[in-house]
Amino acid sequence: MGDSQYSFSLTTFSPSGKLVQIEHALTAVGSGQTSLGIKASNGVVIATEKKLPSILVDESSVHKIQSLTPNIGVVYSGMGPDFRVLVRKSRKQAEQYHRLYKEPIPVTQLVRETAAVMQEFTQSGGVRPFGVSLLVAGYDDKGPQLYQVDPSGSYFSWKASAMGKNVSNAKTFLEKRYVEEMELDDAVHTAILTLKEGFEGQISEKNIEIGIIGEKKEFRVLTPNEIRDYLAEVE
Amino acid sequence: MSRGSGGGYDRHITIFSPEGRLFQVEYAFKAVKAAGVTSIGVRGKDSVCVVTQKKVPDKLLDHTSVTHLFPITKYLGLLATGMTADARTLVQQARYEAAEFRFKYGYEMPVDVLAKWIADKSQVYTQHAYMRPLGVVAMVLSIDEECGPRLFKCDPAGHFFGHKATSAGLKEQEAINFLEKKMKNDPAFTFQETVQTAISTLQSVLQEDFKASEIEVGVVSKENPEFRVLSIEEIDEHLTAISERD
Repeated sequence: MGDSQYSFSLTTFSPSGKLVQIEHALTAVGSGQTSLGIKASNGVVIATEKKLPSILVDESSVHKIQSLTPNIGVVYSGMGPDFRVLVRKSRKQAEQYHRLYKEPIPVTQLVRETAAVMQEFTQSGGVRPFGVSLLVAGYDDKGPQLYQVDPSGSYFSWKASAMGKNVSNAKTFLEKRYVEEMELDDAVHTAILTLKEGFEGQISEKNIEIGIIGEKKEFRVLTPNEIRDYLAEVE
Repeated sequence: MSRGSGGGYDRHITIFSPEGRLFQVEYAFKAVKAAGVTSIGVRGKDSVCVVTQKKVPDKLLDHTSVTHLFPITKYLGLLATGMTADARTLVQQARYEAAEFRFKYGYEMPVDVLAKWIADKSQVYTQHAYMRPLGVVAMVLSIDEECGPRLFKCDPAGHFFGHKATSAGLKEQEAINFLEKKMKNDPAFTFQETVQTAISTLQSVLQEDFKASEIEVGVVSKENPEFRVLSIEEIDEHLTAISERD
């Protein structure tokens, strides 16, 4: 990959045994807008702040939450352009799996392949790591699942997680509020409350994005009207 | 050649700095400003207009060859702000992509697909060390079959957004502040109002009154969905209308 002039890795070990480029990538993630995910007993919800640089931006053209397959969705914190690359690669991998096995790809497999791509970019020549952490939400035969993937390529399954600017407050809030038997609707309310905790300014259906997947195994992004209804319920 | 990440190389190629920033991308933005030109784009109810300064540095130059407005297809226009050589590369590749799209899929490339393609290409340059980011901010405009008039802006970092109005270049921030006030109540500008808002924003932000030969104006509208550059006479009409209005 890349010019032969750069066929050496840019991510190399420091004397203390750290991969500093990955640490810097995590810093980039930590300065991104807050996002979070919650796994309920009958589904998963993912949500993010959608703060745009100006009121002149057409917010309907911005999609921070994307679907990878009909039953898997993803949200990120960090660098938007890097996210788009990963979405494209993941979608292709999901399709290739389907072509080979005539079955929709299980969530764990897709997460593993996406993480492998991210790891490649920490070791290949002439490239830098991705400046995003992903929260992948899916529902397959194994039930609802939520995974977080970091720039290093490591991934874990979570009951609830948060990333970005407000990560520590959000995680503390989630730890207090999470219950094992939570239903999807409650999870959406909790997600909104968590976002509200660290939100600068007035929260509205125009500056957050929410994606859900339920027992029907169809991932979808909520419309602004639906978000407005949930916000009213939370007030 | 041994290299340590953060061993001073974070400013030379696109690897992360300790604060998680990409200096090369930030410098690319500065290069856009260094060109010394400001551009404005405004989306109206059924038209889109882009305006940019036309700086001809030498009287001996053939001023007709100096342009920042490029038709990509009959219906897609691109306004490039920043380094002209980088802009021409981008335009060349964009024209190829749009033609390929039309051939492969049998319908015209929509403007948001083009914007995404440009942005994704820019992202590659921010991640691979062997190519630097382009010092260009591209505004693409068109009348979309399904969504009507659309204006997108793509930057060296690989971001792209749809805009109701936007600006790029030297006085970008001042122009955006000015436009935010004008567009606050979601006005639905007619074609004339769209063009005049764009030109008067440029005039106000640069604090000078232009002659028709000093600016370039590109438009698309529902009546004339073909991207076209206004002639000197048409620009003059708009300038006169603006000064009579004030």
